[in-house]
Amino acid sequence: MKKIPMCSVPDEQGPNRQMLRRALLLMAVCGAAAFALLLAKLCQIQLLEHDFYEQRALEQQLREAPSSPRRGSITDARGRLLAVSASVDNVYLSPAEIRQYGEDRELIARELSRILDLDYEELLEKTGQTGSWYVTAARKVERETADAIRAFKTAYGIRGVRLEPDTRRYYPNDSLACHLIGFVGMDNTGLEGIEARYDDSLQGSAGRSLRSTNAFGTELLFDSFEDYEPGEDGCDVVLSLDAAVQFMVEKHLRQAVEDYDIQNGAGAICMDVNTGAILAMASLDGYDLNHFLDVSDEVRQQMAAAGSEEEAQQILDAARARQWRNKALSDTYEPGSTFKIITLSMALEEGVVDLSSSFYCGGSVSVKGRTSPIRCWKTEGHGGQNLTQAVQHSCNAAFVNIGLRMGPERFYDYCEAFGFLQKTGDPEENLTAKTGIDLAGESGSIWWSEDVFCSPRNQSQLAAASFGQTFTITPLQLVTAVSACVNGGRLMRPYVVQRILNPDGSVKFEHEPEMVRQVIRPETSEKVRSILEQVVGDNKEGTGRNAAVAGYRIGGKTGTSEKVSLEASTGKKEYIVSFIGFAPADDPKIALLVFLDTPSDRSGIYISGGQMAAPVVGNMLADILPYLGVEPENAEESDTTAMPRLEQLELTEAAARLKEAGLQARTVGEGTLVTGQLPKAGRSIARGSQVILYLGTEIPETEQTVPNLYGLGYEQARELLAQRGLFLRSRSPLLHGEEQRVAYQSAAAGSSLPAGDVITVTLISADDSILGRY
Amino acid sequence: MRYDSTRLAGSSPVAVKARRGQMDGGFLLLVLVLLLMGLIMVLSSSYPRAYYDPGKVTGGKALYYFLRQLVFALLGTGLMLLLSRLPMSFYRRWAYPFLGMTLVLLALVPLIGVKANGSRRWLGVGSLTVQPSELAKLAVILCFSAMICRFREKMRSFRWGILPFLGILGLIVGLLVLEPHFSASIIILALGGSMMFLGGVRLFWFVGALGAAGAGLAVLLTFFPYASSRISTWLDPFSSPSAEGYQIVQSLYSIGSGGLSGLGLGAGRQKYLFLPEEHNDFIFSVVCEELGFLGAALILVLFALLILRGYRIALNCRSRFSFLVCAGITTLLALQVFLNVAVVTNLLPCTGISLPFFSYGGTALLIQLGEMGIVLSASRENMN
Repeated sequence: MKKIPMCSVPDEQGPNRQMLRRALLLMAVCGAAAFALLLAKLCQIQLLEHDFYEQRALEQQLREAPSSPRRGSITDARGRLLAVSASVDNVYLSPAEIRQYGEDRELIARELSRILDLDYEELLEKTGQTGSWYVTAARKVERETADAIRAFKTAYGIRGVRLEPDTRRYYPNDSLACHLIGFVGMDNTGLEGIEARYDDSLQGSAGRSLRSTNAFGTELLFDSFEDYEPGEDGCDVVLSLDAAVQFMVEKHLRQAVEDYDIQNGAGAICMDVNTGAILAMASLDGYDLNHFLDVSDEVRQQMAAAGSEEEAQQILDAARARQWRNKALSDTYEPGSTFKIITLSMALEEGVVDLSSSFYCGGSVSVKGRTSPIRCWKTEGHGGQNLTQAVQHSCNAAFVNIGLRMGPERFYDYCEAFGFLQKTGDPEENLTAKTGIDLAGESGSIWWSEDVFCSPRNQSQLAAASFGQTFTITPLQLVTAVSACVNGGRLMRPYVVQRILNPDGSVKFEHEPEMVRQVIRPETSEKVRSILEQVVGDNKEGTGRNAAVAGYRIGGKTGTSEKVSLEASTGKKEYIVSFIGFAPADDPKIALLVFLDTPSDRSGIYISGGQMAAPVVGNMLADILPYLGVEPENAEESDTTAMPRLEQLELTEAAARLKEAGLQARTVGEGTLVTGQLPKAGRSIARGSQVILYLGTEIPETEQTVPNLYGLGYEQARELLAQRGLFLRSRSPLLHGEEQRVAYQSAAAGSSLPAGDVITVTLISADDSILGRY
Repeated sequence: MRYDSTRLAGSSPVAVKARRGQMDGGFLLLVLVLLLMGLIMVLSSSYPRAYYDPGKVTGGKALYYFLRQLVFALLGTGLMLLLSRLPMSFYRRWAYPFLGMTLVLLALVPLIGVKANGSRRWLGVGSLTVQPSELAKLAVILCFSAMICRFREKMRSFRWGILPFLGILGLIVGLLVLEPHFSASIIILALGGSMMFLGGVRLFWFVGALGAAGAGLAVLLTFFPYASSRISTWLDPFSSPSAEGYQIVQSLYSIGSGGLSGLGLGAGRQKYLFLPEEHNDFIFSVVCEELGFLGAALILVLFALLILRGYRIALNCRSRFSFLVCAGITTLLALQVFLNVAVVTNLLPCTGISLPFFSYGGTALLIQLGEMGIVLSASRENMN
């Protein structure tokens, strides 16, 4: 069908006027007015309310991860970990969001109380604090707990429970070197010890990373870092401390506290005499760094018995303060006779005495300004003595004499040079000084003012100071000064931090040994060393001979000081006994001070540095010196011999070798060929021991119970052990012709050892006429 | 705007055979520019969802949506050019059959339609689907234009000017309500009303219609809690930012955080699964976020220019049918753009309306470009 074109359709016409008018109206509305409206709305949202929406948008788009920096670890000089941080999580609630998302408060409280072992009601109350975005539920939870909470969040789609990363401090060695290391608080800030003093280095700086995420909280494909402030991990602090030495020191110190029933704690410092490096610093009683708030059962009983809660709290606070106190650093005491090393050194340096000087002790000495004469510990007097003997005897009369020869001004000047006091220019002021060690909490010494000390009318201060009384110093000051006396005269600044390492392992700080000053000449120091070696090494006259270790040259000085203030208030005499030793005596490497605060009479041992502290130092040195690689000398002269290898030898040949080694033998089994031996070849045992040779018989593998050897003589102890197939070795040299008894055994009585094992004992001499009190 | 003074009189029938002249280059250029921008925005807005594929649709291929849209854009451009070559008489001739076919399809939707999000709106096989409601919009334009041309002065009467139109609208809306498809119903009612307005229906009927619409809305709000919750969400979207208000709140976050100059093309964050329908109904929010107020305003201005150009083509038409079709299509375009942007900016309550040339959706794009082709066809018959 052929249609006519469209234009000729009858009704084909243009739009009429009304249509055009209405079209224009529509055009105005749809093409202009509507768009003006839309643009106005966009203007409002995008320009006027931009900040509001951007803020809200960023809240949901960005995840801020506060990159909590890893707190640096603390290691000993050989890299053993002493303090290390691990990742944990804090759990917090966001009650505002719990409300916003309509999350089940009871469910949250119930599950969290189950996972975190917290009170349900308390958690429920916390979830109701809807004004808050952050309410802490639990701090520093371990990984497994945090994972359980994550699983709960995922399972129920909970958004109002959050985890934030944190770190927790661990101390792998519990109480070892606790006072030195210190601990951190809940906020990871160091509160004590190295943790406090080097907090800035250890802490690092918190960074933050701002990442945009998708709605599921995972990262975007790219460009997800919006903002990043790199945090910096903390630096590692490497101490000069050697954990093994520290362990040896603490072990023997703890033993001493037990053996002597020490009432008021004890301390020890081991220092590298040439650098001032602290190798060990111990203070008892210690505490477990991982539970630094815990106190002993004894204290808890006291608290339970306390009348009020306040009183209990006071007991607790006092107990904590006591256990956190580093006695070696923070306590001051009258050093007593150990200070004679200082008097000796200055006198030799000034030439007021020399090795040929002679002194007479009649039991007491009169001093200008003092009504009663100063008495020597040996009331009948030491008689005539040379300088070495005066030191060996620890003769007070001789040292008063030496002090007076020095004169108060020179004496005072040397005390300043040794770091015991610091003049201020005001002669009326009592003086003080510190070593300046890099530890928090160091106390200062207390000295008479220059006016009092140097008074020409009254020499009693000078006289008493000559043998270490009427002033107080810290144990650290004494070790530092004595190190100077024996190391060639150089007063070294003591230190604990060897180096600080950046997180990347590079060295940020390395301690260079710092010499404060040359106090005495090396020649003088050499004289001091040789005299002090005689204090320990002289079998007959040395007050310090209980510190002797077979095979080693050791020097040292005893000390026993009355706690004056206590005597005045209670009438009861209390003492601090101490010993400071150094080794090897000819070329010192370490100095070691042990002080025991208030031994009890009940221990049955005469209270004196020579009887109590010297053996402890000896025990420590016997462990430490081999560990530090100091080879024993004159081994063949000692009373110890090495067991030869006798297996597969004919009996006659074996007997010959035993004789050569100074040993006896008994045989087990029949035959002529030695098939086994006890002890094993190479073990050091006491000369004269009876070893066991097995002839064609199996060595029985039996456990032996260690007998109690305390108080026994050398021979007795050897016999007792031999009966059980155990062997004796003495670390103390034998003093022939004098009674010695066992004061320490390496294996505790009652413990079990395999047959053939060797027990090391320390023998002490108990001759009061020689050892005395001071 | 220039038009013939004799035609303003509206009395002289155009007897001259329409010469097929040049199509309106400005209109074509604006369409192509917007289409290109739309494609870029589909790419930018859709790749996170396509990559993360939370709905298990794309298999993690980031370009999934973009490539499909690109294919339809090319097909649509071809269709537009093809339809621009057909004479307007062709559309007039096929107006009624087209309406009939559309009604059949609409009737089929509730029976065999593809269901998504609680509604059956799509017909189709596999991934190739079509919304008959899109076709219905064009059918209403063509059919109403033809009817208006036929009824002429009778348009002022109720019998001719109102009843048949309302009948057709009632039928279509009735079928849409069955799906249900609320937003399409509104657009078709508004579109039908605009056509009747152009066709010469007396104004007081519109007053009445507005009154009826107001009453109907009141009834809706009173008896349908769903509707009233939409209104309260509209008034205060932050009252339920994680539930009913989630979509619009996320949209406002996007738009608002764009600021003056935006985060940069591709640098938006809200599309990372925060913003629902980000490549679809809410693509303009991504535009605002990434291109800022300046970019969004530019696009709106381009749309406005296109719409003005469309009306200009209508006003220049010598044939009443062409005039009505062009004005109708342009009005439809304006309605879609306005309602879409008004919804994403929370100027109006939330409902699903796509943005022409931008929103992802192949067949809708195809139909929209086809409609542009019809306008271009009309422009060729104008005196150039």
